[in-house]
Amino acid sequence: MLRRFAISCLLATLALPAAARTRPHYGGTVRVKIEGDPWQRPDGLPRRLIFDGLTTLDRDGTVRPALAVEWESESGDRRWQFRLRPGVHFHDGSPLTAVAVVASLAASCAANCPWNAVHAVGPSIVITGDSPMPNLPSLLAGGQFLISLVLTADGKTANGAIGTGPFQLTGFNNGVLTLAANENCWQGRPFADAVEIRVHRLVHDQWLDLGVGRADVVEVPAEQLRQAQEQRLTVAESSPATLLALQIADSGALANPTLRAAIALAVDRGALFNVIFQKQGEVTASLLPQALTGYSFLFAADRDLNKAHQMRGGLATPPLTLSADQGGAMQLAAQRIALNLREAGFNVQVVGTGTQHSDLMLRKLPLEGGEPAAALEALLRSAGQTPPVVEQTSAALFKAEREFLDQKTLIPLLYLPRAYSSSGRVRDLQLFPDGTPDLAGVSLEDAP
Amino acid sequence: MAMTLIRLLISPETKIHRWRSYLPVGLICLLAASTATAQAPAQWEQPVVTLTEEIVGILGPGQARLTIRNVSSVPTDEIPAIRHRLEDDLKARGVVVSGAESANLIRVTLSERAAEGLWVAEVVEGNQTQVVMVSVPLKRPQQTQASAGLMLRRQVIFVSHAPVLAALETPGGLVAIEPEQIVIYVHTADEWREQKRISIGQKRPLPRDPRAIAFTTANGQGFESFLAGLQCTGTYTIADTESGWTVHCKESDDPWTIAPGTEVQPTTSTQEDVIVYPIKAFYNASRNYFTGVLVPSLGVDLPPFYSTAFLPRPGGGTALLTNGIDGKVQLVENGALKPVAGTRDWGSDFATLTSGCGAGTQIIASGSGEAAIDSLRAYALPALEAVPASPPLAVDGTVTALWTPPDGKSVIAVVRTIANEYEVDRVTALCN
Repeated sequence: MLRRFAISCLLATLALPAAARTRPHYGGTVRVKIEGDPWQRPDGLPRRLIFDGLTTLDRDGTVRPALAVEWESESGDRRWQFRLRPGVHFHDGSPLTAVAVVASLAASCAANCPWNAVHAVGPSIVITGDSPMPNLPSLLAGGQFLISLVLTADGKTANGAIGTGPFQLTGFNNGVLTLAANENCWQGRPFADAVEIRVHRLVHDQWLDLGVGRADVVEVPAEQLRQAQEQRLTVAESSPATLLALQIADSGALANPTLRAAIALAVDRGALFNVIFQKQGEVTASLLPQALTGYSFLFAADRDLNKAHQMRGGLATPPLTLSADQGGAMQLAAQRIALNLREAGFNVQVVGTGTQHSDLMLRKLPLEGGEPAAALEALLRSAGQTPPVVEQTSAALFKAEREFLDQKTLIPLLYLPRAYSSSGRVRDLQLFPDGTPDLAGVSLEDAP
Repeated sequence: MAMTLIRLLISPETKIHRWRSYLPVGLICLLAASTATAQAPAQWEQPVVTLTEEIVGILGPGQARLTIRNVSSVPTDEIPAIRHRLEDDLKARGVVVSGAESANLIRVTLSERAAEGLWVAEVVEGNQTQVVMVSVPLKRPQQTQASAGLMLRRQVIFVSHAPVLAALETPGGLVAIEPEQIVIYVHTADEWREQKRISIGQKRPLPRDPRAIAFTTANGQGFESFLAGLQCTGTYTIADTESGWTVHCKESDDPWTIAPGTEVQPTTSTQEDVIVYPIKAFYNASRNYFTGVLVPSLGVDLPPFYSTAFLPRPGGGTALLTNGIDGKVQLVENGALKPVAGTRDWGSDFATLTSGCGAGTQIIASGSGEAAIDSLRAYALPALEAVPASPPLAVDGTVTALWTPPDGKSVIAVVRTIANEYEVDRVTALCN
């Protein structure tokens, strides 16, 4: 697993120095093709181009200032104050104010926020909680908490796509989102003049477009990375960015934890890795990847069908339903898991994508980077779980992970990278820690 | 050596044990073992001692099997020494490493995560497994460069997490120009200590590929720096402020001083005297290049360029070398603009180095991006074709700035490393 991660890192680092050695040119339009919903939270592709967070994570996971320039905590991390960067404006020209940030944060998480209250105090925002929030600066770098304009200057509800980021939305026609460079971006104007994102384009068609020069950046799903390498595509691949996990309802037919443990033992991660995902990513039985914690190997990932049978014993379960998140290989993976579980004596039916209230859900959970404790909290929140407060030590993290996993409500299966392929005219394509492409840093070889 | 100690019982149920001090025993063992395993790399000794203490704290005296697995960047040839040291330490504390007959097992995994090593010992007694962990600082390997012809050497002067656009060495100190701040450092006992941090007061955003230059003022008592749309001056007065430095910045579209005092060859045949000027160049503050307009004019229209350097010519006089944003390297010589060949492997940045080798002065150019690893390489320019004068000197990331300090005997490079740190390197040459 470490070797695989090292290869991923190598690919990412090769992309890093290979591009920025000669200075980038300004101008031109980057043409991007994607298959899914561009606005999908938290990691829809245009989101990080249009919006900024209060904080950001650099490539080694360190929290850096973004729209907030400094922050401090009090009362045992129960009260945080973030001072906003002065002179920043939204794309419509209105200034970034603490009131606007408060409105955006309040809209971002509704009832499932890590805090109890957020309010504006002069040029700062103050976030308070009943429990300690040691990871708050890191959490605020996540895609869920990017700052958008909620109310315009005349009090009307904004269209939800006005941010402070390097590109601003200028139109959506015939399935193409068009973004223009934000000349006044606080991080500096992006190199490209514009980005065009064609949505709902099948990956196969994206690759054809790339081949005939009609696309500059296209998606490479993890299960097709090998194929992309065989076709000698230029690929930028992230380190593990998505956790494929089986979420098990702890009520109804699977209220018995022994049954859930039997399900966990029956899943064949190796088959998912080898067959469905074509040996990409890494097999895992832990929530956080080995490269982040160093102790992932302590969680056994082997299938044990005999033990699964023993644990299920004679317990009869009604037919179980299994649904899967959207995505190329997810349905195939769900079918495979259903087969595994039938071998352990469970009666499982795969149901359609988006089915609510299924007993089992195959989920793709984003790993947004940061310190391990922050990454664990963000991951559990994205799974709809209440994360424990964890000290910033390997021991505390390991204990928290083990205690959570012992509940057998979320079974980690694979860590998958995100990857994009680029045309020869694209320089400096790098990926954010969540695996989305940083198109603001991209320049075009043939730009004027 | 900072370490984190962890003890966990993971089977059949999880509980945390209290950390107990074994310091006296540890010291004795450390002294004993330091003579027994002198060949073990010193950096592993303390982690081994600490891990041993933890293992013994769980197992107590007795026998146990020991396995070691390495999934980290610890070199394989160092594993036997680590094992030997572990066995010795365990034995000194009453745990004898035995063969397969023992029911107890110590399973040590040398692991690591992004920032540090993590050594994990699983202590198996019957059906119960307890885990201890020790955080281990990782040592970055030093890079060396093979010699062939003129050899470049690189010495890291300074490392920063923040972007460094330019830097200037001062007596006993260093001035780092960052995108939003100027930071004054003093050198104390093998480390840089931040002495003063001054906000530049940037009113408008810097471009995405920000650049800056800095140079010592003529009286040697200060510095001048240019950033996009800004000009800063720093003066050093012993009796002045706490640090002695006073820095002022102002918005400015004035041309940047690219050569504080340069002898310029006449551009027309009617001029006979060599002119000494500070050469300035207008910078496009919303982009990352110079416009091509010089003050004073050299008598030719230059295209927009990324870099320039003044270069002594074999026949006498000085010529200006420019690297256009179109990738063409050209020489301004005798009032004419002449293309330079042999620069296909050059990046956008270069500077001159007065090495005393060969013709005396070489051009140090960054790599073009064709190779996987960025590099610096010396070139001679006897005519209008650049000739490699040294093997490439690999750097740990991307060269983001390159300039010649006042004495001309070295070149200063800023390298953004793979770890996203900014290294300020001094590059010198050895003649062969």
